[in-house]
Amino acid sequence: MGGGLGQAALLSLLGRDVPGAMAEVAYGAAPGQVFDLKPRRPHFEPKAKAVIHLFMNGGPSQVDLFDPKQELTRNHGKSYFNKIAGEVENPHSAGALLRSPFKFAQHGQSGMWVSEAMPYFAQCVDEVVMIRSMFTASITHEPALFNIHSGRLFSGHPTLGAWISYGLGSENQSLPAYVVLEDPKGPPINRNQNWQSGYLPPVCQGTRFRSTGAPVLDLHPGKDIPDQVIDLERDLIGMLDRIHQRRRPHQPRLGARIANYELAARMQIEASEALDLSRESPATQAMYGIGEDKTDSYGRRCLIARRLVERGVRFVQLFIDGQIWDNHTKLKSGLRSACERTDKPVAALLTDLRQSGLLEEVVVAWGGEMGRLPIAQLDDKKNEANSGRDHNKNAMIGWMAGAGLKRGYVHGATDEIGLKAVEKTVGVPEWHATLLHLLGLDYARLFVRQNGLDERLVGVHEPDIVSDLLA
Amino acid sequence: MHSPRDRIEFIGKSMLLIFMLGAPRQSNGAAEPVNQHNVLPILHLRCAACHGRQEQKAGLDLRTVESLLKGSKDGPVLKSGDPDASLLIQKITKGEMPPKRDLVKASVKPVRDVELEIIRDWVAAGMPLAESERPREPLISEQDRQFWSFQSPKRPEVPLLGQAVAANPIDLFVGKRLAKAGLELAGQAPKRELARRVYFDLTGLPPLPGEVDAFVTDMRPDAYEQLIDRLLASPTYGERWARYWLDLAGYADSEGIQHADTLRPWAYRYRDYVIRSLNSDKPYDLFLSEQIAGDELANYEDADGFNEEHFDRLVATGFLRMVEDGTNANITNFVPDRQDNIDNEMRVLGSSVFGLTLHCAKCHSHKFDPLSQADYFRLRAIFKGAFDEHDWLNPAKRRLPFGHPEELKRWRENKAKVDAELVAIKASEGLDEEAKKKALEAAEKKRIEQPMVRALWDRGQPSPTYLLNRGDYLQPRELIEPGLPRALVSPGETFRPKPPWQGSGKTGRRLAFVKWLTKGDHPLTARVMVNRLWKHHFGRGLVRTSGDFGQSGERPSHPQLLDWLATEFVEAEWSIKRMHRLILTSRTYRQTSRVSAERMELDPLNKLWSRMPILRLQGEVLRDSMLALAGRLRWEQFGPPDPVDVSGQGLVMAKPKDGTWRRSVYLRQRRTEVPTLLASFDLPVMSPNCVERPESNVVTQALHLMNNELLRRLANAFAERVSHEKPGGIGGKIRHAFRLALGREASTEEIDLAKRRLSPLVERDKTQALRALCHALFNAAEFVYLD
Repeated sequence: MGGGLGQAALLSLLGRDVPGAMAEVAYGAAPGQVFDLKPRRPHFEPKAKAVIHLFMNGGPSQVDLFDPKQELTRNHGKSYFNKIAGEVENPHSAGALLRSPFKFAQHGQSGMWVSEAMPYFAQCVDEVVMIRSMFTASITHEPALFNIHSGRLFSGHPTLGAWISYGLGSENQSLPAYVVLEDPKGPPINRNQNWQSGYLPPVCQGTRFRSTGAPVLDLHPGKDIPDQVIDLERDLIGMLDRIHQRRRPHQPRLGARIANYELAARMQIEASEALDLSRESPATQAMYGIGEDKTDSYGRRCLIARRLVERGVRFVQLFIDGQIWDNHTKLKSGLRSACERTDKPVAALLTDLRQSGLLEEVVVAWGGEMGRLPIAQLDDKKNEANSGRDHNKNAMIGWMAGAGLKRGYVHGATDEIGLKAVEKTVGVPEWHATLLHLLGLDYARLFVRQNGLDERLVGVHEPDIVSDLLA
Repeated sequence: MHSPRDRIEFIGKSMLLIFMLGAPRQSNGAAEPVNQHNVLPILHLRCAACHGRQEQKAGLDLRTVESLLKGSKDGPVLKSGDPDASLLIQKITKGEMPPKRDLVKASVKPVRDVELEIIRDWVAAGMPLAESERPREPLISEQDRQFWSFQSPKRPEVPLLGQAVAANPIDLFVGKRLAKAGLELAGQAPKRELARRVYFDLTGLPPLPGEVDAFVTDMRPDAYEQLIDRLLASPTYGERWARYWLDLAGYADSEGIQHADTLRPWAYRYRDYVIRSLNSDKPYDLFLSEQIAGDELANYEDADGFNEEHFDRLVATGFLRMVEDGTNANITNFVPDRQDNIDNEMRVLGSSVFGLTLHCAKCHSHKFDPLSQADYFRLRAIFKGAFDEHDWLNPAKRRLPFGHPEELKRWRENKAKVDAELVAIKASEGLDEEAKKKALEAAEKKRIEQPMVRALWDRGQPSPTYLLNRGDYLQPRELIEPGLPRALVSPGETFRPKPPWQGSGKTGRRLAFVKWLTKGDHPLTARVMVNRLWKHHFGRGLVRTSGDFGQSGERPSHPQLLDWLATEFVEAEWSIKRMHRLILTSRTYRQTSRVSAERMELDPLNKLWSRMPILRLQGEVLRDSMLALAGRLRWEQFGPPDPVDVSGQGLVMAKPKDGTWRRSVYLRQRRTEVPTLLASFDLPVMSPNCVERPESNVVTQALHLMNNELLRRLANAFAERVSHEKPGGIGGKIRHAFRLALGREASTEEIDLAKRRLSPLVERDKTQALRALCHALFNAAEFVYLD
């Protein structure tokens, strides 16, 4: 492997700047290549430098949040199952067409429709592009999650954040390029596979930051180890490694390793500081809903997300425990509760990013892994008051806001009852390609050779950038 | 000769032609004759779950024309010439079949209108039968066959380099190329370094200082050869080298896909099989044959009693049962899910054994290599007797009840005991219903699982294989017979499988396949394997893309050396250990890793092997070594994998037993619980397997080695051991710690440095000082990077 180190990598490790060499290092990198997270040039001038992905586990219901359907209300109670039997995950409990239990109103100058369940977000609609015409490829959580995160229905493929880390590296060498803010209550479905690096180097995988306690695994030594011992050990390692390196000239990876230990030391300080919310004003904390029962947890993560992108983290992804949007039953109370946990913090994040100017260089993306059906899903007792909605792959909804994007724009449409995206449809590959585009990356040129294939985020698809979304 | 670009255009045009001619029906509905080959794939896809091999509801079997015409227990289901009067068509038209509410239960989707139309047309036309069209595919040209890796390796002349004839031929091949560049082999590594290199290389564990000393002072001319033989004979060799093969197989102890990530209870038997096979130096041709067709090598079905060989061969077939698999749940067990599973297994087979990217030809003929889509489906047809998407065995059904006699004995005794207990509880009168229920449950919990083998076996009667247009299960085209990739066989060479033994229902297709794969002059088999051996010894293969020997892979840096090694491998009766010995005794391998400015200038990327590269320890080796130094490595071979624990913080660590751990190869490899240390040191995510582990240098490695509490405890244990073995002053202890961890004496500079840096601690607490040193040694570059 010593021989496998590319010339360009060698020079970059030696600290020499080689114009254009960065790209050669990263893309289609050779086996045996040693990877780091030095910043790499995008393919073209980027609109955005970072992304915050507010991932909404479970599949939020499009027709109950942002896509009101008169026809659904009109045809409430009519049978529809037979027409879509092959598209239903739980055919045994499928019911009739179900109108939304929520009232809708238009908001902002754009007049965007938002359900009463999201009063805070309703105030921010002029910031966002609402994509009503998204769809995915599976009606089952696991494959659908793999799809939205990695573009495939299987695990084992690198996720969006991993590709971005691979393509761009990190602007802050004391923090990871890709940070995952998990819900302290527990992991999402598919757990760490949602942010894995697959066949990309492990350095590209998402690093979990926790909002309480030590933010990163093994960031700090155990409490019973005196600082003096740590300092002394660090010195000793550095000195031994320098002797070792001196006896082995022309071995760039040894220098890179020494640098890595220095980075580890810096990261202990920087990561702790980034997560210290006491440095934020009480007003800011209150805006995010920190200190309020329902919003404290998600509010903290939203505020940490802002602090991380401020510090040069490339991709921040927020997860919520379990599947709060997976409202198979009790749609009305379940959806409302999911909104109550997230609506205020999300709106605060948008407002905060706008006020601080960060929204000019950061993209915020909101959405889940699938949508929901217009027909009811009934519980065992067939109690209609407890109706929920089953999974839907043919329509899902999401929005984006920030750098390079239009504001107050609604894109595409579903059919009359919200069953299927029909106008200006946006598949997962298009969505991925557009996000990469905003970051200055061309999906076709961002690849790695794996088992003889040039693997890309979008696989074999050749998606169009959704240019209607771009400012 | 076609350049790759020409090839794309050439294929592009011919593919266009295929799409136009080959599609069974035009979408514009133009009346084209329909025959049974248009109808049968639909019936398999939509109906065979309940009217096929595993179940024949209403006595109806819809797999073949004969059974279709026979109809159900109540009579015919089709009326020739009259679709409206045909029961089968009525049922589908009314939406009764397949039953809508049971679609997910059966993992079936409704019949599409276009499919119903085809069935109707066929019945209306009087159910005509016809030969299937032959697949149209680009012809294999003589130029295609000329490609280097498609030709059998020919044994080249060993170059003479003005050296003794007795020299290791490897050095002559490497030396010749070096000479052209004005270089020669670098000096030999000092014995001490060499010993450390070869211990790690072959066993993945650090040598004891005494072992190194013995080698250094052994002045016999064949001291090095003896050392190699000793290490190759050590059972730790198999544990080290099995890991490489397990990467290729995509070994995992869980199914993946579903969030539950269900465990695979008997997968470990395959891991043990690999370790045992390597340790016993099983010839590679047999090793492959067992893994690909172990079920067809010997008649295990009619054997009496336990037979070690049969058992081994069935376990070996676990090789193609390793990819992740969601088909244990109905919702991820539809035909395309099964297709994905099979395609992934083909991908494992291609990248590990063939060194060809066969899977690229799934959706379209290969863009670079002369592998047509029909070639791909011929291969799928070879495996159809075992991988049949229309007659699927979900993971729970892929086990055969085999076990070692002692396992069976334990299981039978347990069964008898538990059954007796159940009877006793049921009969007891003193207990009320609730208490009885509880007691019964408690007794059930004591039951151990029946010994099983996870296997792949031919079940006979495979469904027909149709080429899938663009790899899409909804677009079946021509019927495909099993066959070998045309570019790799001589024109006229045919594929004629026959049942492996008399009276067997098995197709024998995979047996015929491995016979071809392991023939001595196979263009790829030996080359691919010797290249891997080289790669693991030197960090990089002679063909750098070790999973791709095709057009888009790299050409060998030393083609003659590769071919010489390949032919030597076959002549050595496929003995892997003999190849190790050959490579390790070369001067090329024994070169120093120190590199001069001149060498760096003339061979900057070490393409000519002008030195030994410095290699980072694999994650497993690093972990095992720290455990060994700490005296906490429990050497215990084989058996069920050791459990891991996931902390609230997400840290994944192996659970100890009596404060000790086994080697990393025995850790449970659950897809969702990858041990943190191994993950940060590049343990691959199996997707579906791993041909090349990346090497990363990332901050999480430093953080883990520096701050992880368990590793600190191990460093403490290492310090205790040093103290115990070397009583007396701190100077002696420092020297001993260096000897143990780095296999060499500490230099004066290092001792002075350590003493000086540790002095504030030494004065206060000698134990803590030594602990700090030991912990620093775990973190030292010299510990992690091998010269």
